[in-house]
Amino acid sequence: MKKSPLFGAFHTPEHDGAHRLGPIQKIDVEMRHYGPGDEVDYIVVGVGSAGGVLVQRLARAGFRVVGFDAGPFWDTERDWVSDEAGSHNLYWNDLRISGGENPLAFGANNSGKGVGGGSVHWAGFTPRFHPSDFRIHSEDGVGADWPISYWDVKPYYELLEREIPVAGPANYPWGDPHGYPYGPHPLGGVGDALVRGCANLGIGVVAGGPVAITSGSHADRPHCIYRGFCIQGCKVGAKQSTLISHVPDAIRYGAEIRANCMVSQIIMGKDGKVTGVRYFDADGIEREQRARVVIVSGYSIETPRLLLNSACPGFEQGLANSSGVVGKYLMAQAGNVIMGRFDEPVRMYKAPPAHALTEAFYETDPARGFARGFAIQTVGPLPIAFAKQMMVAKGAWGWGLRKVMMDYNHWAAFGFLGEILPWEDNRVELADETDQYGLRVAKITFSLHENDKKLIAWGKNKTMEVMYAAGAEEVVEEPRYAHLIGGARMGDDPRASVVDSFGRSHDIPNLFLCDGSIFPTQGSANPGLTIQALAARTADYLIAEGDAVTSRDRRLHAAPPIRYDLSPRGVAGRGMPRVKSSAHGISVGLGGLAIGNDD
Amino acid sequence: MARRTSSRGATTANQQSAQRAATSPTEPRGRLPIDPQTGDPIAPRAQPGYYPGFSTLAQQKFWDEATSQVVLRRVNEPPPIRFFSPEEARLLRAVIDRIIPQDDRDADHQIPILNVIDDRLYHHRNDGYRYDDMPPDDEAHRLGLQAIEAIAQATQGQRFVDLPPDQQDRVLQSIHDCQPPAAHDIWARMNCQRYWMLLVQDCIEGYYAHPWAWDEIGFGGPAYPRGYMRLEHGRPEPWEVEEQRYEWSGPPWSASNRYEPIGGEQGAMAPGQEGTH
Repeated sequence: MKKSPLFGAFHTPEHDGAHRLGPIQKIDVEMRHYGPGDEVDYIVVGVGSAGGVLVQRLARAGFRVVGFDAGPFWDTERDWVSDEAGSHNLYWNDLRISGGENPLAFGANNSGKGVGGGSVHWAGFTPRFHPSDFRIHSEDGVGADWPISYWDVKPYYELLEREIPVAGPANYPWGDPHGYPYGPHPLGGVGDALVRGCANLGIGVVAGGPVAITSGSHADRPHCIYRGFCIQGCKVGAKQSTLISHVPDAIRYGAEIRANCMVSQIIMGKDGKVTGVRYFDADGIEREQRARVVIVSGYSIETPRLLLNSACPGFEQGLANSSGVVGKYLMAQAGNVIMGRFDEPVRMYKAPPAHALTEAFYETDPARGFARGFAIQTVGPLPIAFAKQMMVAKGAWGWGLRKVMMDYNHWAAFGFLGEILPWEDNRVELADETDQYGLRVAKITFSLHENDKKLIAWGKNKTMEVMYAAGAEEVVEEPRYAHLIGGARMGDDPRASVVDSFGRSHDIPNLFLCDGSIFPTQGSANPGLTIQALAARTADYLIAEGDAVTSRDRRLHAAPPIRYDLSPRGVAGRGMPRVKSSAHGISVGLGGLAIGNDD
Repeated sequence: MARRTSSRGATTANQQSAQRAATSPTEPRGRLPIDPQTGDPIAPRAQPGYYPGFSTLAQQKFWDEATSQVVLRRVNEPPPIRFFSPEEARLLRAVIDRIIPQDDRDADHQIPILNVIDDRLYHHRNDGYRYDDMPPDDEAHRLGLQAIEAIAQATQGQRFVDLPPDQQDRVLQSIHDCQPPAAHDIWARMNCQRYWMLLVQDCIEGYYAHPWAWDEIGFGGPAYPRGYMRLEHGRPEPWEVEEQRYEWSGPPWSASNRYEPIGGEQGAMAPGQEGTH
């Protein structure tokens, strides 16, 4: 090849029949299978951002665990493609009904299906929530407080940032200031524009992360090759999904992943406890699996839907729903895309879409006339996504569409990420229509309220201002909604919330929820890191509780010991500077955390 | 569909009639985009756009096997028409020719769009949700075609497929503006703005999924396992091509040259539906 001097850092691997997760990692052990008569310790419904971490922790701690997922157990070399249109099957494409004044888009917009769940197609931004996010009702009189504080979650942020691992700047100045274990990624054209625009306006900005993409090789995962297909599933294995970071370790420690199995109902026993789940297997045959504890990790739509669809005598309005709160307080983040055309080429398809951001507008500023704030982040729409954005932002079609698309390489795109508050009338209910399994589908109602509208209008204009300050000659905007959150909120009051801070349902002692649905509020940080961090915290709680977890009488509310020794293989000791203590013969991180043995 | 035209200035008729042919929607040459300086039509080419010689398909030996299979099947085996009736297909083809006109592409380099939409609906490949003011996608497409035909009949007294392209544009513009002058029974069952977005997005899914469209806009295409080296300043990789711009605009009679918000100037902007962050 005359014009192609590079033959790549690695080759497409031979087909040897192994289940591959990236070019190097293989699942190299036989997966355990539990029989129809076996009662397992834990069922996790949905092996996504939370479910992947849960099955890994619980399996490592020696429990018998089955993780159900409605979608496939991806072989990333065989099943994923470096192609936009070809990645349609990564999303939750089963029917949902969307209504309200500002109806949400689902599917490719925010909903995953298959092992790894939404973490397969997230862009990978991993900012932490700010301390203020946990107490917005106390501080601003809006939304709700969390039953826990930032400081309860902080050790789990630090832990997951190493397990994922997160690459980012050495100094992250917002919220609780901190730094990242792996070095930042190089700037692409969009990040360059964001840094330039912010710098020209005197706005603080960071580049190169925080993002769940390896900037150095990590165990059997190579580092990023900057191809820009993050949200189509990372074939490289550089961008984290729980599919590649946690599920292999779970299988190594005896977890079973039952893919292509749609859980249709949580089964209630006679004693007010759940006994397991009913599900449709890969052949569409209805089966049951018994378990001591059921954890639902289906995210903000499917988790409430399963609870509502599991209604039975004694629980007519759905499981864990004596409060009537199941399905309510659903949130989405405002995700407007601001696009600027530059005279010089940008080529925004290169570099990870997620690689620079500012949280300078994150906190409430009374002068702005609304509560809470927003972030401005880089995004990198590929041609199909960009054409759809031009259809909305410029009303383009026909020759106008063809013409603006020929300028694709001159555009940069910023993602506005704004906090929408929790409102009772934004909710998930059951529609009368049914899906391919005969299960009632979710009906979602979503409308913006006054504070939300003010925040979006102000933040969108600020983001456009940054784009102009970067040197764009034309700036346009597409309204949009991003990540889902809420729908089964946590809280201390059983009359006003569904679960406690560990995800345990107030009504049923051995039914847990663990995913983004339990968040009372969402901040303007991408939720993926916090979902994974809280899953590790729930796992520690379950492990510390042991057999007592099924008991109605005994509910621990004290923080469990943090199990640093349960990280997946290849994590311990990496990503942070170490000093050897010859006196004790152990390695200690400079952050004061004990490092577990690697196996 | 592309129409082959003789090269510029081949006609021996007087300047006036040549100019009329160049810009009249009823003349084959009038369908072509023009050079805004001279007003002359620009002859169809194999690869419009500012990256002459750039070919993503030429890089396929650097693609992974799974991606190659998906993309090459898209190029070499367009799916058959199975969902739409021949009559519906003829009408939708005419609509698509206005939503994403390809008159600037020569006959050998037309990108199939109708087949992609038909295949999606035939296989019930949906997007995971339906707005509560919309019928299912397959029904929406059928209803939309009926509405387009009804608007053509009501306003022009002709079938849509028989209208000249400027009048076809006007029919579609009325849906873009969410002010359709006919088929009110259909719009009572289906949100006009959402139908417009469904239609245009489905056309986009066909066109901009094709390697020829990537070549046209200078997008690098599949990039695994090789990846990129030159991230900053919009620099092309050694195998990519520097931009070589030329001025052009759509045929002057076309309504789609203008950028106007969906729903018209007063319309509320509908949110986008594609994931980015």
